[in-house]
Amino acid sequence: MNDQKLKIKKKVKKHIPKDWLCELRILYRLSMETFNDIRRTGIVNLVIITTMAAILTIFGAFFRSALSISSFAHELGNVLEISVYLKSGSDPNTVKNRIKEFEYVEGVKIIPKDVSWENLKREMNLPDVTNPLPDTLHVKVDKPENIEPVFNKIKELSSVEDMSYAQELAKRIQTLNHVVNTITVFVVIIMAILTITIINNTIQLVIQSRKDEIEIMRLMGVSNWYIRFPLIMQGAFYGFSGALIALIPLNFVQNGLVNMHQFFMVPAPVYAQNIVIIIMFAMGTLFGAGGSFLCIKKHLQV
Amino acid sequence: MIQFRSVTKKYKNDNYALKNINLDILSGEFVFIVGASGAGKSTLMKLLYNEERPTSGTVTIGGINIANLSNDKVPNLRRCMGIVFQDYKLLQNQSVYDNVAYVIRTLGISSREINARVTGALKIVGLYEKMHATPSELSGGEQQRVGIARAIVNGPPLLIADEPTGNLDPKNSLEIMQILDQINQRGITVIVSTHDNAMVDYFRKRVITLDKGEIVRDIQAGTYE
Repeated sequence: MNDQKLKIKKKVKKHIPKDWLCELRILYRLSMETFNDIRRTGIVNLVIITTMAAILTIFGAFFRSALSISSFAHELGNVLEISVYLKSGSDPNTVKNRIKEFEYVEGVKIIPKDVSWENLKREMNLPDVTNPLPDTLHVKVDKPENIEPVFNKIKELSSVEDMSYAQELAKRIQTLNHVVNTITVFVVIIMAILTITIINNTIQLVIQSRKDEIEIMRLMGVSNWYIRFPLIMQGAFYGFSGALIALIPLNFVQNGLVNMHQFFMVPAPVYAQNIVIIIMFAMGTLFGAGGSFLCIKKHLQV
Repeated sequence: MIQFRSVTKKYKNDNYALKNINLDILSGEFVFIVGASGAGKSTLMKLLYNEERPTSGTVTIGGINIANLSNDKVPNLRRCMGIVFQDYKLLQNQSVYDNVAYVIRTLGISSREINARVTGALKIVGLYEKMHATPSELSGGEQQRVGIARAIVNGPPLLIADEPTGNLDPKNSLEIMQILDQINQRGITVIVSTHDNAMVDYFRKRVITLDKGEIVRDIQAGTYE
């Protein structure tokens, strides 16, 4: 069996260029060094990973909620319409085509005055009198924040008698979106600072505890990056592991939000959970490695 | 092989460790650097492995002035030489074998090659039988022999030993010096800083005496005094 294994190993080795073999061995050694460093850090690993998981959970939960709030806002924005009342004698189709050319306009629907009058009569049980209503256009805009500019443009048209839209609601949606985006950026910044500080301090402790060993490596001619790389990887490992654990509470947040979307009959944003997970892992790992790198720059003289 | 030209090393407060050192060491030589404590022996050794840089002058090894070597090239320089320290500088949690193999492992050499080199080096210093022991299980003399094995495992043309017998009794000191002498006979240049007069007198090699940072004596087959 062993002979068979050796034969396979030899066959595989034959096909790998010598330089690559050398690089692969170095990579293997570096991985082992990283693994040993983490093992030697002992119980502190648990503390760091748990702290990282807590920070990433807060970030993930916030980011995921922000995506849902955005989706709610978008959905509300979609039902916002501008009602345009035309002067008598104006051609609704001409005005419709004119408005359709405006930027941000997603659609225009003509409500003929006869239809409006019939509906009103039916709803209010009115007697048969001359139709006093004008032809109406319902204009749909792509985003709530674009309603106002479109409204002002339509107002300039000579065929328009009067207009209306839920101005307050549109403004509130716009403000809500703005606040959520600002807080998300703020949370990302806080998270970055916390992650980098925690990793920085941990790696500083690791460097202190391995001071003699690093000194020996340095004096024996071990290359600078060979000394630094396992420490950077250790930082990245903490970020990655923290993100891995944060998946559990994040799943609860996801379920809660999905229930909320179902309750309000607003579709949940597509791929939101996947986006949050990818960003959480990328940020955890990058900030972990970054914190370690900054610490090495400051405290490791090689 | 090694040239010091007008080398001066000055620390803070105008404290001179070395003053205008001019020195040539040829390939294959065995040189003792002697002098009282504070004479500048260790500074001179540190200049050789670039742990210190001269305030002025040039230190050339193999035609390369290492005085202005960029930081990322320093490990390459150190891998071209073996360094032995007074306090051994061994990794206490690793075996003798792993201590000796440590540096060459970082170079991506195959396990078979590493094994051949490490066992070869351990045989030279007489510690082949104790390759699985940890430094704490060895005597001071044995630990220093591990340090020598580690220094020669990469086949360097130059070996620098800074007070290698400083922590050892006369018997162990003699053993260490004999090993260094054997290594020198294989063609490796050996530079030893010491204040062990008995060893210097016994081996009768080139002796460079430093006093207050200056070379006051440089003789072939010399003695301590």
